[in-house]
Amino acid sequence: MNRTAHIWFVAPATLLMIVILILPIFAAAVLSFTDYSLGNDSFKWVGDKNYDRIFNRSSFQKMFTATFTYVLVVVPLAVGLGLGVALLINSVSRFGDVYKTIYFLPVMAALLAMAIVWEFTLHPSVGLINQTLARGCGTWLEWFAFFRNGCEKTFPLWLGDRDYAIWTVSFIGIWQGFGFNMVLYLAGLTSVPRELYNAAEVDGAKTGWDRFRLVTWPMLGPTTVFVVTITCIRSFQVFDTVEAFYPSGGGPSKSVYVMMFAIFEKGIQQNLIGMGSAITVIFLGFVLILTLTQRWLVERRVHYS
Amino acid sequence: MVGIILNGVTKSFGDTSVLKGIDLDITDGEFLTLVGPSGCGKSTLLRIIAELEQQSGGDVRIGNRLVNSVRAAERNLAMVFQSYALYQHLTVAQNMTVPLRLRELGFFERFPVIGRMMARSKHAAIIEQVRETADVLQIGPLLDRKPGQLSGGQRQRAALGRAMVRKPVAFLMNEPQSNPDTALRVHMRAEPAELHRDLGATFIYVPHDQAAALTMSDRMAVMMGGEILQLAPPEEVYANPSDLRVAQFVGSPKINTWDAVVDEIGRIHVGEMVLARRCNPGHGPRITVGLRPEHLQLVPGETMGSLSGTRVHRENLGADVYLHLDLGGPRIVVRADPGMAHNLTIGDMAHATPLRDKALIFATDGSRLSFAEGAPVAQATEVA
Amino acid sequence: MTDVTLSARPATTLSWSWTEALKHAVLIIGALIVILPFYVMVSYSLKSPGEIDRNEGGFFGAQETMVNPRCVKRAEPDRTAIEAARPDFPGKTDREIKAAMMEQIEAGCSSRPVVFNYTMAFSEAPLLRYLLNGVIVTASIFLIQNIVALPCAYALAKLRWRGRNFVFTMVLFCLLIPVHAIALPLYLGLAKLGLTNTYAALIIPWTISVFGIFLMRQFFMTVPDDLIDAARMDGMSEFGIIWKVMLPTAIPALLAFAIFSVVAHWNDYFWPRIVVTGTRELFTPPLGLREFKGDADGSFFGPMMATATVIVTPLIVAFLLAQRRFIEGITQTGMK
Repeated sequence: MNRTAHIWFVAPATLLMIVILILPIFAAAVLSFTDYSLGNDSFKWVGDKNYDRIFNRSSFQKMFTATFTYVLVVVPLAVGLGLGVALLINSVSRFGDVYKTIYFLPVMAALLAMAIVWEFTLHPSVGLINQTLARGCGTWLEWFAFFRNGCEKTFPLWLGDRDYAIWTVSFIGIWQGFGFNMVLYLAGLTSVPRELYNAAEVDGAKTGWDRFRLVTWPMLGPTTVFVVTITCIRSFQVFDTVEAFYPSGGGPSKSVYVMMFAIFEKGIQQNLIGMGSAITVIFLGFVLILTLTQRWLVERRVHYS
Repeated sequence: MVGIILNGVTKSFGDTSVLKGIDLDITDGEFLTLVGPSGCGKSTLLRIIAELEQQSGGDVRIGNRLVNSVRAAERNLAMVFQSYALYQHLTVAQNMTVPLRLRELGFFERFPVIGRMMARSKHAAIIEQVRETADVLQIGPLLDRKPGQLSGGQRQRAALGRAMVRKPVAFLMNEPQSNPDTALRVHMRAEPAELHRDLGATFIYVPHDQAAALTMSDRMAVMMGGEILQLAPPEEVYANPSDLRVAQFVGSPKINTWDAVVDEIGRIHVGEMVLARRCNPGHGPRITVGLRPEHLQLVPGETMGSLSGTRVHRENLGADVYLHLDLGGPRIVVRADPGMAHNLTIGDMAHATPLRDKALIFATDGSRLSFAEGAPVAQATEVA
Repeated sequence: MTDVTLSARPATTLSWSWTEALKHAVLIIGALIVILPFYVMVSYSLKSPGEIDRNEGGFFGAQETMVNPRCVKRAEPDRTAIEAARPDFPGKTDREIKAAMMEQIEAGCSSRPVVFNYTMAFSEAPLLRYLLNGVIVTASIFLIQNIVALPCAYALAKLRWRGRNFVFTMVLFCLLIPVHAIALPLYLGLAKLGLTNTYAALIIPWTISVFGIFLMRQFFMTVPDDLIDAARMDGMSEFGIIWKVMLPTAIPALLAFAIFSVVAHWNDYFWPRIVVTGTRELFTPPLGLREFKGDADGSFFGPMMATATVIVTPLIVAFLLAQRRFIEGITQTGMK
């Protein structure tokens, strides 16, 4: 047995971990206190000016609003839909695999490509959505205020409308993400012992809801913790759709100016590295809080041996 | 073929000492078994001989060559593992060629196509060697199968084949996970023993239970707590254990034991009874007396010096029946003739007399004591 | 969601049940919404611009031959071409010659919409090049990730050495860091090294997959020690053990990781967008599509959707062929 082999096995990975993952965090932390930009030889220390701006300027307040709106809309719905669809698929006797395949398709497809397709589909005049809605004009559907307004003036611009933009982008986020959660929940459901349902029934859990409360939901606890965390982190990182729809500046009235886009815009496009780094640091802070919460919740049950 | 000598081999993992100075001299061509309760260090010892584990202290010699810093692959030992450890993605034949290819072929000679062209004769020799070994083990028809398609017995043979094919100086064997099928288990145990006879190679075998050790080995080493307590032929270990722990470990059912007191003239008192033989009074005052179940004889009624107790359990092994008797406190096991034993039901009173000159005595630290020379004490109550 | 226990009963009877029908209805509506953009994408990639504008022609469109205006414009005969063609049209005026030539050109430039869309997708932008880049980048990333991660995972799972716990803790910590989030400092470092707009820039940040290390380590833990000892007895080096013993046993885990890695990097848009600017030579498929969109006018919906279809198809087809594997892979890698 070679007693030094491990050094050669571990060294490359450790080195890369330090250089690619750990050092950049420190770099971002340091740069966030400067006014550095690429191409300049020198930089000035600006103290907490960058952070001060982020927390006080209205454009950055919009950034937080957009990011948190997106996360708070996408996470519960993507998780809830994932769970709901998983339960439904698990309970139907036929075609479960077909549904599973279909719902999983968006996970596999390049989000950028699908964003462009959605943009066409949601196009105010030639888009399939509004054209289909327009067909409802003149029918009983006009009884709804939404249709009446749409037929009299125009149907929503969706992506171009300040009131609709963030919701539309969130919808696409949910559309893209819930299939993944569904699959995780289906995996979680297979690990629920069948006897537990029988036991619950014997114990008098008569309705499906009772059994769900008594057996399914508690057994899915660990899955839920994981699903919520990963959906949160993915939602925080939303970028592809926003950049595809609004290449220059975060949508109508910056209502979709999410953090990743802000990092991209400030740090890369406008070469304000210090500013971008400060947003990066705040971003990492959020992610860290999230994952540590998850670890804390999970660690009480699971231990990696 | 060569012997293997261990000198004061120690091993500790952190603060826990697993082996506490093992001295072992395995002669050429010997079949040695290592037995002991789980965690006694026998597997570790085997792994140290193979250099899969580095000893903390002491020397390992193979054929008089000090091999402390010789790598596992170069010690020319073969090992058969508990799980067989066959490569699942390779066929039996490929499994058997691995050790040969790695030993006998250079780096480039192992390449799929070029290698074969570079060293045609070497490749042919390897294939020939595999075929020969397969013939010996009668696994020729299995050569193209993968381990997943083999039965337990076939897997063992494939694993033996992989070990044999490179003609090692010694075989190290961890007995496979015990098979639920008794007949198959007996058969699978017979295989290494036969192989040993045919090849005349040195075998170090770690069986699951001591029954195998008793039947197979030239000598057995009983290990406990990281030490070898006794190293002797199996009959010797059974009849003449050097330590109470050895006596208790070897033999099934377990040896019966009693606490006894030695008086000033060396008589040994077990309860109200006194043994026929005496020991040195200096061993006393407290000792342990052991008597194997077959050294107790069931008698129809209470007689002089018999032990009486109620029957609590019966182990029927067909030819023999072991009765567990409750003596009102201590329990003993008696081997009985089925005819007599079947008349007894639970709760019945049974009586057994110890056979003469069969008892073993041990000091409080477990070491074996010998009886004093000289005539037994002539006294009516003396037994055993 | 109301009757979860149906799954606990064997589905032996296929009798009509209202709850079952309702569930299917809900699932079908959901499936239609999920599939809508895919429908739009493929359908538009088959239709002519007019059909797209007017939203007619069903899924396949009428597939009437259409004339490609760009093709015609490019081939439009100028003065010298007309002069050169004069001998072919004796006794015709310039105007007549031009009309005749235009007719020929239009005939040459007309095609079925589906052919038009897909040929445009490949001819207007170097789509093949993008696809090739995608393959190069994803394959290199996966290969290097393995070369780095497998030995480390092996050492963490099966070798005893000082500092093992420290390194494993580091791995667990690094699992928390989303690489996209630290894109800015990474970009800065690569820019300082003069590596932006190279394949290296696309690959380097992903060479270390902490996740791969973790996943493979967990899998290697389940490989019996005996197997490794047997290989050592057979004379294999530790390095040989990784590739010849551990790797073949770890194929299922490796496949799961491969799926995870390839899906993530084939579809990645954020990182290529940052480090590749301008040079089309290095565009990955999503970047190429993005650029296509950037300089497309209204009539190019069809070719653009064709491009999107071409980019999305490889993974979808692979997914449909090996669904179970994919879903298992994604779940296994997803569930840490």
